[in-house]
Amino acid sequence: MGKMEPALIRDWVREFIMKIAVRRGVPKLADDDSLTSTGVLDSVGIFRLVFFVEETFSVAIGDEEITSENFRSINAIQEFVLGKLDEA
Amino acid sequence: MAYHLPQLLRRSAEQRPQATAVCARGCTLTYRELEERSNQLAHLLRERGIQKGDRVGLYFPKSVESLVAMFGILKAGAGYVPLDPEQPPARAGYIIGNCKMKGLVTDSLRLGRLDRETTGRLALQIVSGEPAEKELGNSVSWESLASYRSDRPLDLQPVTTDLAYILYTSGSTGEPKGVMLSHQNALTFVEWCANAFHVHPEDQLSGHAPLHFDLSVFDIYNAIEAGATLHMVPEDILIFPASVAKFIETHNISIWYSVPGALVQLALHGKLTKERFPKLRTILFAGEVFPIKHLQRLAELLPDVELYNLYGPTETNVCTYYPVDRSRLAEMEALPIGSACGNTEVFAVDEQGQRVIHAGGKGELYVRGPSVTLGYWGDPEKTRKMVVPNPFQPNFAENVYRTGDVVVLRSDGDYDFLGRRDNQVKVRGYRVELGEVEAALLRHSAVSEAGAFATADPVNGSRIHAVVALHNGSRLSESDLQQHCALHLPRYMVPANIQLCEHLPRTSTGKIDRERLKAEVQPTSS
Repeated sequence: MGKMEPALIRDWVREFIMKIAVRRGVPKLADDDSLTSTGVLDSVGIFRLVFFVEETFSVAIGDEEITSENFRSINAIQEFVLGKLDEA
Repeated sequence: MAYHLPQLLRRSAEQRPQATAVCARGCTLTYRELEERSNQLAHLLRERGIQKGDRVGLYFPKSVESLVAMFGILKAGAGYVPLDPEQPPARAGYIIGNCKMKGLVTDSLRLGRLDRETTGRLALQIVSGEPAEKELGNSVSWESLASYRSDRPLDLQPVTTDLAYILYTSGSTGEPKGVMLSHQNALTFVEWCANAFHVHPEDQLSGHAPLHFDLSVFDIYNAIEAGATLHMVPEDILIFPASVAKFIETHNISIWYSVPGALVQLALHGKLTKERFPKLRTILFAGEVFPIKHLQRLAELLPDVELYNLYGPTETNVCTYYPVDRSRLAEMEALPIGSACGNTEVFAVDEQGQRVIHAGGKGELYVRGPSVTLGYWGDPEKTRKMVVPNPFQPNFAENVYRTGDVVVLRSDGDYDFLGRRDNQVKVRGYRVELGEVEAALLRHSAVSEAGAFATADPVNGSRIHAVVALHNGSRLSESDLQQHCALHLPRYMVPANIQLCEHLPRTSTGKIDRERLKAEVQPTSS
């Protein structure tokens, strides 16, 4: 998928996550806020998010990569996606 | 034999003072430290006016301090009330008021979320972290514990039927209800588990369930009873199967207990192998039905691990169990809930009020024995409905608990779970009364009618959906309503979908027709 602007990655991830967050009573979320302790992501939501990231950024994510380090916040996801795109 | 929960800790602290009792987020406490710190808390509570039978809440994420707080409160003669640290503050406030809580152990973040009316009700707040702005004269810091005596506090003549803790579960009338458990209730279960699962001092137990969920009773008290080590699973890794698998590996967990949903995720995405977890010997699960397909997968991945299905409502902790027989899994359609635990009797009562004695007979499951709850806090009427005189004991007064669960007796003497007699469903192992969801929706001034129903979900057990009618002229979106629910309900109770309609289907008696709702409304995916 060529070079992507980090800010664009963050915006797309943010847009997807905010759709879930609003429905869960979290109208505001900072880029560094935890997605788990705020209750935005649950055990089903995390796999929807992984699917979204795979589709949107054309990356393959292994089960071992679905960890709190990589998906704990919008910033962490941005970093993770950038790393995946660099690998490709 | 112990008759008071703190005796379990005292014995292990005498026998294994230097052994690690609990480990959470990199912090550990030895048995001696846990014994002494909980003594200090008991001295503090007594000095600040907490008396025998009072209720003291726990309102912070699970940590090593959770155990200090639980044992400290019990040693002071009070009962503890664990509050979901992530629930809406309004719901926490309701519980604090409902059980007339006198003290609360919390952190400054959560104290700051409670309204003044609620904090004003508390005679004592023990607060960790930075002091909150609205801290009142009745606050003391958790850190001040260190200045209290660490010897055992004066014995207040505890009795085994004294209240030990209250667990709040979803209530059908719209507010959560408090299930009261005594020392005897908990010890009946703990002592049975100690023998049934041979918990020994070298064991490493997982602490997966939150403290307001009764699965944690096994984790905590069976670890302490055995002098073993409890490893609290941090909340922020729970939804990441790879991180949870790593946790089991790193801490050499030997006994794991959780809801099936967590195990389904581990089996699907946790990269489980026999070689990775050489110490893991026993997996217990409870709270909801384990889908056979996923259980088979788990059993194949971990061929040497013993698997047990535990069943029971909060009111009896666990009352039946089924050791999974791998050789029969392939032919099974559903997993049995098994037969009664030790020191417990269960029986099914059919619609004619007769005890089910023949294979294939169906009825409501009743539970008899010392594990049966003291009842619901402040609700004798509800208690009388559920904790009833044993219909088969004509000679003396004895109470049994009606579970509301419909079961069928199998030819091998085990029971199979068929469903509920009422509108209770399970989400991630938590009980959810659909009536509480509807009541939350109806609190919105624009909502005129609300109906909730559930559909099956392979990971979470069920998914909650709602249909809502609005007053004329009102406009609200689905997400407006979900945000409204999130102010009143824990997140697992917020409906995944809310649809709007003009009127809800009703039965001939005027009640909301949930079956028609379910059939007529096609849930949209979210």
